[in-house]
Amino acid sequence: MIRSLFLRAGLLCVAGSALGIAGNALTPQPAPLGGRVVPAADLPGAACEEPRPGIAPISVEAAKPLCLACTAVFVDARSAEEYASGHVTGAVHLAPGESMEPLLARLRAAPAVIVYDRDRDCAAANGVAARLQALGLRDVRVLTGAWPEWLARGGPGESGACGACAVDGR
Amino acid sequence: MRRLRGGRPVTRWLLVATRIALGALFLWAAATKLPDMKGFAQDVANYRIVPALLVPCVAAAVVGVELLAGLALISGFMARPAAVVVAGLLVAFIAFVAQALLRGIDLRCGCFGGDEPASWWTVARDAAMLAAAIVMARDPGQRQPLLEDQRGRT
Repeated sequence: MIRSLFLRAGLLCVAGSALGIAGNALTPQPAPLGGRVVPAADLPGAACEEPRPGIAPISVEAAKPLCLACTAVFVDARSAEEYASGHVTGAVHLAPGESMEPLLARLRAAPAVIVYDRDRDCAAANGVAARLQALGLRDVRVLTGAWPEWLARGGPGESGACGACAVDGR
Repeated sequence: MRRLRGGRPVTRWLLVATRIALGALFLWAAATKLPDMKGFAQDVANYRIVPALLVPCVAAAVVGVELLAGLALISGFMARPAAVVVAGLLVAFIAFVAQALLRGIDLRCGCFGGDEPASWWTVARDAAMLAAAIVMARDPGQRQPLLEDQRGRT
């Protein structure tokens, strides 16, 4: 009885999916079947245009030389999975709500700290930057355009887990 | 004379009203997405769960399933399997929205077209509909038409 019920539910799903995919072309603005649709925040220029008042913004063009000269520590405020799949070279991972303790000494020693995320409204970067400011760090900025813009403009990147966060606390 | 099968008449009518309301909601949800399937595909992509290449197919399939399940619930034909499908969809919707909220992803939910933001209210609303769908799926009376001749009964 249960098996029959789930079998009919499965058939309904298959029929509905076929109906949706076949009927898509008849709609005024069809979904681009066969094409790729990425999150809006990953499109260049779509993410983090303006940090909240009180937090200074920095553009990708201005931040790139600081990265290359190692005169700023970059903080990646996205999820650990997103960080592992690619981040600004040398960046440390620090998502909103995570403990700052292991990274604090390194961040305090840096001339500048640049926080980035991939949110349209800079939500994660704002959160982390505000906490860093509250801890007394003076030069904390949020990267406008965020990770998508950094990638699009050829900023240096790397992948892998964050050793600095968990191991030596540099 | 005709009577309702299974349970007290009032309970049965309540179940039927719930089934039709749930079906109408899903039909409405599909109808609001049809004018802008491209926009709905973008909403699906923003949840960061479905691979970019599969997003358009998943978006189109979801709307088709919503449409068919809504019609089935309203008409009463294959209502119980439709309730199972709707329950499955709602579990997926709740998981999609909850993970986005927990990850701090700010997005519109894509539930009924428009710009409604995803929030815990969205999760609560889906959970209420899920409860209704589960009741429908478990109700043996949904297997038969609502009304039947009382032939063979007194």
